[in-house]
Amino acid sequence: MQIDWITVSAQIVNFLLLVWLLKHFLYGPVIRAMNRREERISERLDEAREREKEAQQEARRYEQKTAELEAQREEMLATARQEAEEEKKRLLDEARTEAHEARDEWRQEVERERVDFLDGLRRHIGRNFHDLARKALGELADARLEAQVVEVFIDRLKSLDQEDARALAADTDRLAVASAFELDSATRSRLTRAIHDELGKNLDVEYRQAEEVVCGLVLAGGGVRIGWNLAHYLDDLAAAVEETLAAPEAARE
Amino acid sequence: MTISPDSIILLQWGPLHLTATVAYTWLVMALLVLVSWLVTRRLSTGTGMSRWQNLVEVLVTGMRDQIRQVSRQDPGRYLPFVGSLFIFIATANLLNVVPGYMAPTGSLSTTTALAICVFVAVPLYGVVYEGPVRYLRHYVRPTWLMLPFNVIGEISRTIALAVRLYGNIMSGTVLAGILLSLTPYFFPVVMQLLGLLTGMIQAYIFAVLAMVYIASATSAHEAQN
Repeated sequence: MQIDWITVSAQIVNFLLLVWLLKHFLYGPVIRAMNRREERISERLDEAREREKEAQQEARRYEQKTAELEAQREEMLATARQEAEEEKKRLLDEARTEAHEARDEWRQEVERERVDFLDGLRRHIGRNFHDLARKALGELADARLEAQVVEVFIDRLKSLDQEDARALAADTDRLAVASAFELDSATRSRLTRAIHDELGKNLDVEYRQAEEVVCGLVLAGGGVRIGWNLAHYLDDLAAAVEETLAAPEAARE
Repeated sequence: MTISPDSIILLQWGPLHLTATVAYTWLVMALLVLVSWLVTRRLSTGTGMSRWQNLVEVLVTGMRDQIRQVSRQDPGRYLPFVGSLFIFIATANLLNVVPGYMAPTGSLSTTTALAICVFVAVPLYGVVYEGPVRYLRHYVRPTWLMLPFNVIGEISRTIALAVRLYGNIMSGTVLAGILLSLTPYFFPVVMQLLGLLTGMIQAYIFAVLAMVYIASATSAHEAQN
């Protein structure tokens, strides 16, 4: 066990040198590097935290936007649905109204045609009947149809009951005789005489020709009509024909 | 049989001579500095790093943690001194496995030099970080009567530090030499392994004791803070 003091002093110097060298080459750089790494890691963590926050905000914003868009879409769909519904209703109403109008128009048209047809038929039948009756009466008897009509008229005038006669001559001194054909003067005087005999001497009698009297003679006044008129028969016939024509229509409706 | 590398003198200039102790110390120093320089030449501050850097960082972090545990102070100002003690002694002891190498820590001159360094460093740290008056007051505690005992204790623990390390390392070498002559081949290998363990433990003990002495000189100041 010996101590070499030269070696001891050399070793002290050596050790101090080693301390300095290691401080310079080992501890300093390593600790600096570690500190820097820690700083960078904490920086990155901060950065990551920041980014996460931003991302969350972004995500929230997007969610909100999506919700808004969804709501908007729903609203638009609802509006469109409502509009379509209204449009449909409107179109249906329009179509219904048009159909109603068309049906009404068609009905009126049919009605008009029916009336026209019946009118024409009545007139035609009347005329034909008039011609036929005249022809038949002319062929059956020597007397002219008008004369026969005049006879029938006078007969009816004579068989008139008191009440009707009074009503005819009650509030007028003038009576009109309507005929389908032109009466000659002899017939007129005969008629006038007959009227004077039956109703009163002081009555004026006027003669006129009338379309509506298809065939025959009519004396009207005080709400009473007497005479013989083919139009009555024709009206009956027309009513019968009309009834027949209306029957299928009624059945159809 | 050579017990101490001090007895091997490589060069001689008049009164100055270069012993094997100094030469091996230089070798260890050169190795440490070279490795440190190679590793710390390109340090990565990112997440990826080389294995060597990882090793060095583990070493440095471990030493810092140990110093913090022992001293309960910031390890920054003690790390170069205490850490160098540990690294130097550990490396010098570990290289014992290399044939022909003789640990410089097996020389009483080296361990004395290191103990003297600690002996000087303790009051130095105390004075620098506590102030001279407050540091010197440690010697008269709890009473003036304790002053001589405190001084003796200071000196004796320094001697103990030096002799403990020297004895442990030298004994390892001596044991290996004796066993080699008695039971050659295998048994000395086991003793060599034991010697490596002892060397590491001694390096740790030396550094921790140095730290404890320094901490005891500066703790009062830190405690007040």
